[in-house]
Amino acid sequence: MIDWLLDPVHWSGPDGIPIRLFEQLAISGASLLLAALVALPVGLWIGHTGRAATLAINIANIGRAIPSLAAIGIIAPITQAFDPELGFKVYPTLFAMIILAIPPILVNAYAGVSGVDRELVEAARGMGFQERQILLRIEIPIALPVIAAGLRSATVQVVATATLGALFGFGGLGRYLVDGVAQNDDGQIFGGVFLVAALALLAEGGFALLQRVLTSPGLRLAQSSGQQPAA
Amino acid sequence: MTGMATERAPGATVEFDHVSKVYGPAPAKRRTASPGAVNDLSLAIPAGKICVLVGPSGCGKTTTLKMVNRLIEPTSGRILLGGIDAASRGVTELRRGIGYVIQQTGLFPHQTIVENVGTVPRLLGWPAARIKERSEELLGLVGLDAAKYAGRFPSQLSGGERQRVGVARALAADPPIMLMDEPFGAVDPIVRERLQDEFLRLQSDLAKTILFVTHDIDEAIKMGDLVAVFQQGGRVAQFGTPTELLASPASDFVARFVGADRGLKRLSLSRLRDIELRPAVTGRIGEPAAEARRRALADPLPYLLLVDGQDRPVGWLRDVEIEGDGVLTEAMAIPMSPLLSPEMTLKDALSMMLDADVHTGIVVDRAGRVTGLVTTDILGEFLREPIEVSAEP
Amino acid sequence: MIDWGWVGDHLGAMLGRTVQHLELAAIALAVGFAISFGLALIVTSYRWIYPLISGIAGILYTIPSLAVFAALVSITGLSIYTAEIPLIAYTLVILVRSIVAGFDSVPGDVLEAADGMGYDRRERFQRIVLPLSVPLIVAGLRLASVSSIGLVTITATLGASFGGLGFFIFEGYHREFPTEILVGAVPSIVLAILVDIAFVRIQRRLTPWAPEQAVRRDTWEGLPSGPRAG
Repeated sequence: MIDWLLDPVHWSGPDGIPIRLFEQLAISGASLLLAALVALPVGLWIGHTGRAATLAINIANIGRAIPSLAAIGIIAPITQAFDPELGFKVYPTLFAMIILAIPPILVNAYAGVSGVDRELVEAARGMGFQERQILLRIEIPIALPVIAAGLRSATVQVVATATLGALFGFGGLGRYLVDGVAQNDDGQIFGGVFLVAALALLAEGGFALLQRVLTSPGLRLAQSSGQQPAA
Repeated sequence: MTGMATERAPGATVEFDHVSKVYGPAPAKRRTASPGAVNDLSLAIPAGKICVLVGPSGCGKTTTLKMVNRLIEPTSGRILLGGIDAASRGVTELRRGIGYVIQQTGLFPHQTIVENVGTVPRLLGWPAARIKERSEELLGLVGLDAAKYAGRFPSQLSGGERQRVGVARALAADPPIMLMDEPFGAVDPIVRERLQDEFLRLQSDLAKTILFVTHDIDEAIKMGDLVAVFQQGGRVAQFGTPTELLASPASDFVARFVGADRGLKRLSLSRLRDIELRPAVTGRIGEPAAEARRRALADPLPYLLLVDGQDRPVGWLRDVEIEGDGVLTEAMAIPMSPLLSPEMTLKDALSMMLDADVHTGIVVDRAGRVTGLVTTDILGEFLREPIEVSAEP
Repeated sequence: MIDWGWVGDHLGAMLGRTVQHLELAAIALAVGFAISFGLALIVTSYRWIYPLISGIAGILYTIPSLAVFAALVSITGLSIYTAEIPLIAYTLVILVRSIVAGFDSVPGDVLEAADGMGYDRRERFQRIVLPLSVPLIVAGLRLASVSSIGLVTITATLGASFGGLGFFIFEGYHREFPTEILVGAVPSIVLAILVDIAFVRIQRRLTPWAPEQAVRRDTWEGLPSGPRAG
């Protein structure tokens, strides 16, 4: 594996590590962004108003149960019909990733906001805060750790699905796994394993750090004294 | 239900013999002689009495309690239950013979009420029918309708109801000793008072030896036959009856802990029937006035109490204003002092008298007949009387 | 769009693959649960091991399953072990944490009351700790089984003798035959959802004493957030 990783050949060209890495990061970033764009506002709004909560939770739970492979598989023929090239290689994985990333982000946004002490919210209302201000200045800051946890979990999901994309024509780091198995090239396999694992752990670790950073010091104290649950 | 001839197990004595509990490295290794949670405690509690362990937070009263059923093991010393060293018995066997009630109740959420109550009998291997019968009997004893509550779960009960179940559960195997750790602390004052009253009634039937921990001095005085006031380090500042504590606090600490209103507290410990009342000088309606006037003036109290044919009070007559001729009539009387029952505590009597703004209260029996008078002077006398601090509680 | 004729012809195969799918998942769950339970018991006696186990579990959980499958191929070839070991591993990761969380969830006053009344360690575990751990354990099983259903589809990459319904997804994709993809994808999604619902029901049934809202474990509190479907 070390040899494979150190071999400069593998660092250049269309099959090189930089390109694959880029593909993986690009699709992961894009899908996370798009998923968050949809899921965050909806989740936050549902959390604040409490409306449609059961519906949203149920949909989200269903979404989480969907096997990634099945998601990619179903989307493939659809997008292929629209764009034979990308619709075959990129879109299935991309859309599947978006769909699979939405539930954790949404559920956690909802849980985070609705988990803020209702009395706190009432007090704010009583002091004259507008609804939007309550959401922005009080609920979201307190809910940040939980929201971040949702993003973190979505990230794990996304990196995994991107890797799976290699089975459906996508590039990314998963390519090394698939090709390595096909070519019986252990070096490539383990090189891929290493890269994928490293990326996944770094991404998750990064979000864990972000979660810690986003928890206001007051909350952190409350967490350690056992008053607030850690996300 | 047919009377199941339950032999009420009499209470057993509990004795602490130089008991200490020290946390941390062994005393020999310590650089400073830091006191332990409990230091050299020796206390003898007679059978069948409620002994309250009271004191400020962290004084070691709960630690002391938990050493009895060995949830905490003493570092040194012995605890004797009915004369037998607690350490010499198997720990689970020991605990099955001691009732244990805690503040948060610790009812098993996944079991029904009747299953909860039957816990120790089940551990002891009683036959199922007997367990069920006993559980239902106990629920009744603690004031819960067995038919209604037996099949419910703890989460469906209120705080007060849960505490009752906790007590029932502790009593299930009829243990001679009960340990209660702030059992009524988690409920509101109204519920707490009811629970206290009902428990005292229960105990008057059962006569178990009860160790009761609380931080509330009022509860200690109300519940305890004996009270041990604990200071930091599990040291007993005073051990005696509530009256002794209130009348003769052994130290400044005890005096402060008991409270500056200990005089008033003492008044709540005795009832009107316990003290000597002042005889009432009465005059009956229809009696010749001159007779009555003479009698009234002979008495230092400047009033004559007018009563009816059945000796029931009607009103006061100012003795100097009693007209010489004619008979006593109702119209002559002026409004009355409060009517007090012999069952009333001195404190409540005083309270009523103060509310009515009088110095004298009229004590009547159940039929309403006058039995005597109580005055603020009498109450003051009562408080001034030296009490005997008995050597043997 | 959909070739119903083809579907009709392959109903038998669909059934077979579904059974295979469930078998593969069931093995992973059973073995995973057994090992997890044992580990959890060890953790109760030797608490210090838990951060280590939890840490390893966390790392493993984050790594995409394809990587784990691929790595194993070079060691155990294309055998049942390659299929099951990652499945069991992911199940372990979820269940150890759920079971330990379950044991930890028993309220302190209940434990104290149990001790005070004379339960010994074993009885206390059997009669008090275990029943009260059930909600979190079942929540973990729910998570693990949904995950397993998803992961079984990926075993299709190991060859035609595996994959359960995932087999159809792959075949369909490579043959560019949408009907077949759907024949694999839709039932596997349905299966996962049904299993999820089944476990919610089971959880409710097993805790008659809990107030309704306690069962609403939507945010997978304390457990790795969300099922691993890939």
